[in-house]
This record gives sequence, C-alpha cells and structure tokens, in this order.
Amino acid sequence: MRRAGGRVMLSARRALTGVAHRSYAGRNRIREGFLPGPSHHAGGVGDEGVSTVTEPALRARGIRKSFGGVEVLHGVDLDAIPGSVLALLGENGAGKSTLVKILAGDYTADGGEVVVGERTHHSLTPRQARAAGVRMIFQEFQDAPTLTVAENVSLGRLPSAGGFVKRREMRRRAREVLDQMGVDLDPGALVGDLRVGERQVVEIARALSDDARVLILDEPTAALSQQEVERLFIFLHRLREQGTAIIYITHRLDEVQEISDRVMVLRDGDVAALGATSEFDRAALVSAMIGRSAGAVDRPPPRDWELGAEPVIELRGASCDRAFEGLDLEVFPGEIVALYGKLGSGSGEAAEAVFGLRALREGELRVLGRPAPARGPAVAIGRGVGFVPADRKREAAFLVRPVAENVAVASWSRMARLQTLISRASEAGAYRRWHDELRVRSRNDPMQQIGTLSGGNQQKVVLARWLERGSPALVMVEPTRGVDVGARADFYRSMRRLAADGIGMLVATSDYEEVVQVADRAVVMGRGRVAARLEGDAITTSRLLEAAGG
Amino acid sequence: MADEIQGAAPPPVAAPGADIPEPGPSRSWVTRVPETAALIVVLIGLIVFFSIRSEFFLTQDNIVNILSAVAVLGILACPATMLLISGQFDLSVASGVALTSVVLGYGLADGSGTVLMVCLAIAAGIAIGIANGFLVTVVGINSIITTLGTLAVLRGLAQLRTDGRSVGFEGFTELGLGRPIFDTPWSVFILLGVVVASIVAMRYTTFGRSLYAIGANPTAARLAGIRVNRVIFLAFVLSGLAIAVCGLIVASETGQASGNAALGLELSVVTAVILGGASLSGGRGTILGTILGVLILGVITNGLTLLSVNTFWQDVTRGSLLIAAVAFDQLRLRLTKSV
Repeated sequence: MRRAGGRVMLSARRALTGVAHRSYAGRNRIREGFLPGPSHHAGGVGDEGVSTVTEPALRARGIRKSFGGVEVLHGVDLDAIPGSVLALLGENGAGKSTLVKILAGDYTADGGEVVVGERTHHSLTPRQARAAGVRMIFQEFQDAPTLTVAENVSLGRLPSAGGFVKRREMRRRAREVLDQMGVDLDPGALVGDLRVGERQVVEIARALSDDARVLILDEPTAALSQQEVERLFIFLHRLREQGTAIIYITHRLDEVQEISDRVMVLRDGDVAALGATSEFDRAALVSAMIGRSAGAVDRPPPRDWELGAEPVIELRGASCDRAFEGLDLEVFPGEIVALYGKLGSGSGEAAEAVFGLRALREGELRVLGRPAPARGPAVAIGRGVGFVPADRKREAAFLVRPVAENVAVASWSRMARLQTLISRASEAGAYRRWHDELRVRSRNDPMQQIGTLSGGNQQKVVLARWLERGSPALVMVEPTRGVDVGARADFYRSMRRLAADGIGMLVATSDYEEVVQVADRAVVMGRGRVAARLEGDAITTSRLLEAAGG
Repeated sequence: MADEIQGAAPPPVAAPGADIPEPGPSRSWVTRVPETAALIVVLIGLIVFFSIRSEFFLTQDNIVNILSAVAVLGILACPATMLLISGQFDLSVASGVALTSVVLGYGLADGSGTVLMVCLAIAAGIAIGIANGFLVTVVGINSIITTLGTLAVLRGLAQLRTDGRSVGFEGFTELGLGRPIFDTPWSVFILLGVVVASIVAMRYTTFGRSLYAIGANPTAARLAGIRVNRVIFLAFVLSGLAIAVCGLIVASETGQASGNAALGLELSVVTAVILGGASLSGGRGTILGTILGVLILGVITNGLTLLSVNTFWQDVTRGSLLIAAVAFDQLRLRLTKSV
C-alpha cells in the first residue's frame, strides 16, 4: 500500500508538470463541485463502508482521548481517502484539533486504532505518521522565518553529503515542487519576508516535497486574503486529482461546499454528521454543529437600566493595515457589545486598536468623546480604557506575584501617597473589595500568588484590576478562553452587573455562545469587514454562525 | 440598587464552582520555605565554622573588617537586585567603579579641586547608568550584551586614562579611611543607608512594585499601564549612582587611581544577588536576601583568608557558589511549575 501510494504520487507529479496553464480548468472543477447529483469523484463518497475505487490511505477507528480526566473524543472513526477532500467541522472544543493531532502522531490516543495499509497501530508515533505520509499544515506557521524558501521546503531533511548541505540540490528540490504547484516564488527569498498566503504555500510545498499522502490543513484560510484563498483552493483541487487524501478543518460553511467531497461534523467528541457534502445544506451543517448545546445557551434577561447618552468607545471608518477596513462601532455606557469573528477576521485587532496597541491608517477612535490616537497602553488607560487580553498567562497575570498586586497594578499611581509610597494594606483592601463582588474562589489571602488560582479565578482578578482602576470602558479579548463552565457563568454575571453600573464593554471573541450569553449588540466580522450587526434577541448561535461563515 | 443588580444577573448556568477544587499552595518545602531563612542558616553555619577554626574570627575588629570589605559589593548589589528582579543585568559595575575612581584620582593627582572632581566622578557614574539604560531601553539591546560591552569599554577607558599604571594622589582620605563611630568606616554606614533605602523602594514604592511586575511579566506590565522602559531606565541610572559612590570609596581607600580597581567584582555582585534568592527569570528576589548573600560571600572570603587558604581557592569557591545558587533557583522553578 505504501509503495502503491508512492507510485500514485510520482505519476501524479509527472502529470502535473504541465499543469500551470490548466488552472482555468481547475477552477471550472471548483464550480462543478457545487452541483448536486452524481458525484464525479467515484471514490469520494464511499465513507460508510461502500466499496471504493481507492483504499483509504489511513483509517482511524474508535479513537478516544482524555485530557485531565475529561474525555474529549468518545470513539471517533475517520477515513482519509485518496483523491478526496474531507471537511472536518465542529465548534470550538468539539475535538477536531485533537483528532487530527492524533492522526499526525502529535497526541497518543487513549483508545482505538489507526490502520495504515496492512498494519494496525494502537496509536501512531510521529515517526509512523510521517512514514504513512501524514502531513499537517497548522494554523500557526511552523516555518523558520529566518531561513530561505528552499531551506524551509527541505526543513528537517536537508540533502547533505558528509555533513555538508547540498545547496544546489536543495534549491532544485524547492524549484521543482514550486513549479509543480504553479507558484512563482524565489527559492532564495527569506520566508519571513513573504506574505501570509505565500508562507502558507511554502508550508504546503514542504509537505508535498515530502510525499504527503494525507494532507491535514487546520483552518488554512483564517489569515488569507480572498485571492490567496482562491489560489489555495486551486492547489487543493490539483492535489486531490493527484490522489492525495485531504482533511480540511474549517469554520467557514461556504468553504465546505466549495472544497470538500465529504463532510464530517464533530460535536462534543462524537461524530454528529457524516456524508457526502452534496447531502448537506448550510442549515443542516449548522444544526449538526450546534446540536443540543443550542438550547443550553440562554440570552441574558432584558436590560433594566438606561444606557448613557455619550458613547465610551466610538470607531468611525476605522481601518488598520492587514486587520480591518472601514469599521464603525460605538459602545454606550451600560452596554456590552460583542465583536464576533474567527481568527483573522479582524475582531481581535480592532479591540487592540481601541486600547491603543494598533495605529489606525484611516478613520477615528474616540474614547469618552475625545479623539484617542494610539499612544500605547499607559495613555489608553489614562483615558479610561481597561484591557483584558486574550492570553492571560502571557499578557495579563503576574503569576509569581500576590493577587493583591495583580489587582492593584493599574491603580498604583492613584493609591500611592506623594506619588510614590504604597502600602500593602491599600493593595489588600483593593483585593478584598473585589474578592466577594466577583466571587473569586481563593484562600482570600491577598498575598497568595495568582499563579495558584484556576484560570477562571485568575481572569476575575484581572477584571478586578480594571474595576479597581475605575475604567469606564473595558475592552476584552476572548475573556473566557480556557475558563471552566462554572467560572464562566460567574464571569458573565459579573459583566452584566458591571454594565448595570454603567461600564461600557467591548468584547472581541470567537466564541459565539459567549456572544449569545452576554451581548446586547453583536458586530459580526469576517475578513476585516463587518459582516452583520445583530441586536437583542436576534443574537442567536445559528445567526452568528451563518453571518460569520458567509 | 442592590436588588436591581441582582435582577440583572442571568441565572446560573451551572452550580457555580461547587465542584471546583480549592487551589491550594504548593506543598513542596523547597518552594515554601522563604529563601532568606535558608540563607540565615547558611550564614550562621559559616560563622560557627570559622569561629571554631579561628579565634580571631569573631572579634569586633574582624567583624568591622568583613563589613568594610563587603561595603562596595553590597552597595552595588542593591541596584543589581532591582535590575535582576526586573529581568535585567548590569555587568559593567566593576569597570564603572574603576573608571569613576580614575576620573577622581587622576584629577586630584593633577591638582584639580576636590569638590569639582567628586562632582565629575558622580556625573561620570550617572552617565554610565544613563548610557546603559539608553542602550537597553531605547536602542533595545539585551542588557547582558549591552553591559558586557560597556564592561570592556569602561575598563579600557580607565586603563587608557592612567596608561595602565596606578597613579597616587593626595587628600580625599576621609571617605575611605575615616571611622566616625564604633571604629567603623564610612563605607559601612553608606551601605546601611543604601540597604534601608533600597528595602523601602522595593517594598513600598510604585517604582519597586513596577520592577517586580516587569520582571514577572513584561508584556502584562506594559498592558497594565506600567511605563516599562522608563522604570528600567531609572534602575540603570540608580546602578550608575551606586557605581559613582563605590568609585569614590575605592579611590579614597586606596589613595590611588588604577584602571585595575575592582577587577572581577561584577562576578561577586551577580553571585550575591542570585545567592540572595533573586530569580534569573525575574519577578522574585529581595534586598534582604541579597544582603545575606553579600555577607555570606564576605564571611567566606574573610574566613578562608584567616585560615590561610590560597586566594585562588576563593575564586573557585565564589564560582562554585554562583553555579550552586543558580542550580537551586532552577530547581525551585521546576518544582513550582510542576505543582
């Protein structure tokens, strides 16, 4: 099987050598992919055991995986079929990434088996996955930006003789695979100088030159422009014709229709839907993804307080390079506005711009009615904006420092006598003030290191930092990422209470359930632009998903 | 109002936190025992050991000897602790001391006025701090590299000024040789003042808190509104000020301007600071710990001298102590992380 696969690959490559000028035909195929009816890929639909022309390149059976005692995959089957694209869908935490990481040998499965050719493995080691031709393109690039394109293509298996790199061979190899892909990239260029789409091309080139038989792409279009997306799809269609099995993880429903032959939806670690893409329409996919969890997400009770008249945050026609375009947005006192979008949609970047971390190319930002050009965090805080960043450990918490300091840090200048002297007591007072209010579960010892608290409680302490400071405007990015359900509910409750006290909040998030649970209004972003604006009870998981997917 | 707020809260989605385990403190003794306690034990152990081996060790004369021998080290170690807590190093301190002492001594030997030369020497020390701070915060060079560079530059300048020789001068002896009370030299009292001021700064001021925060997490510090570069710059300037003071003390003690003054002292400073519990990964450390580290180094050096151990063995001891201290720091980090 392995040899056969290799041969397919070789002949397909040979066939590709004249393919660059066939790209128009390739695009026609993409269009054909929309058509329902008899699939033109005989091998494409045979997932449910129907005999197929091609044997699966890789077969996973009953895969189970637990993290910290919680099972996240409950026995999942997956077939990677040569010449077929499988779209893998599911909401955050459904188990998509875990599943493909097991296929790539990154994680060891707790149960189940992986069949490659004749051999059955309990779980693949990275080496076995490699031998099986499994190659994964990660959402975040795993390339070496300071090396050249050619070096990156051969990364980890540089052609060498006696310890010396054969540079000419390396360049030839890169040139060959790039030609096959129909890409005009200089093998001598530094990868760090390339555009995002080009870097992704280099990653794919590396996988291809390494005989990828099962190519896994984890949300590959998240950071790409429309043009780059189209080009990526052309590559993928070509690869499919060559007989590569492709597993394509995405959140974008339109892409599913465009690129995939088969679709598999994971929900809470189980397969919620599986079949030929043509059998599903958007609504069916959405309901498969959300499933019963749709009912579990409640809207907050209607607001019984008045909004302030003057917006605390106001963006007018704001544009920022490589992030967002023409964004209009306002947040009034007492209001929670969600900026919903996936990675690369520009929602996180817009939040950063409001906190003065990114300069606007065009348009204007006003905070509490005053123009607020980007002058860094200290100035933004002085204007009245508080910031709860996405990566708590890296960007917010001082893990080895006491909780009291973690609360007081943004208020030191106010607490200090004569601008310099701070007492432990005033810090401890600040901590105690918010400990009960936010229901921080800790020993109630102001000197306890914040690093010993759970993620959700750390996040409450970070929130308390801005409440102590008295910031009238709060910007949060992914505020409950990595926070457990109970603490999450606490956190949302606190947010509503703070809104009642007149604080205006802008919440950039990729978690649609979060949007449903806290937002008064939702601005849905996609590819740097506003895709939809929803208000009140119009904010539902399915509307959010549809708007973001479109 | 309270009722209103309650009403606004969404109903609990799950029984809040009933099943969330109470996060406890780490149970390992290595992480729980304050570093200073271990240091005090070590210090007492050393004192007991040396006083058994040498009857002269615990005399008042010798105690004053030890204190005045470590004064310069201690004065430099205080700002070095501040810097290391914020994640920075100043390796140029010893060269800086040599240069400022040369500025002073050479000027005095040339017959310039004492007040003028003292002011110039202090200005030179502060300028060194400003230069280091500028290179680290504005230009953005890693502080180890920056101060490794200025270490060589300043030493070279000092040697150039004296042409590699020692130049004796007259006057300016009170600072180094005067013993105002308790038969104890000025340098010990200066050390005491610096230590007290540093403890207050690190415990009770926004500056000190900011240093801890920056060392614990520079990104979070910036996002919390701390002017990271400004704070680090100030710490380097303080280090420069300490350099100036020590330059004056060294020149006054020896009555000479020598480009070889304080040679290798930066190693002792770093050793003392790390021995004192300041973490290489930043955010942790105390002035008190550093002073205990300084005293341990002083006691070892003095004790070994009294026991007539070859001075080169003292270098071996100092280096080994540095490595042992860092190893302990790593061990502590690993245990904290795994808990």
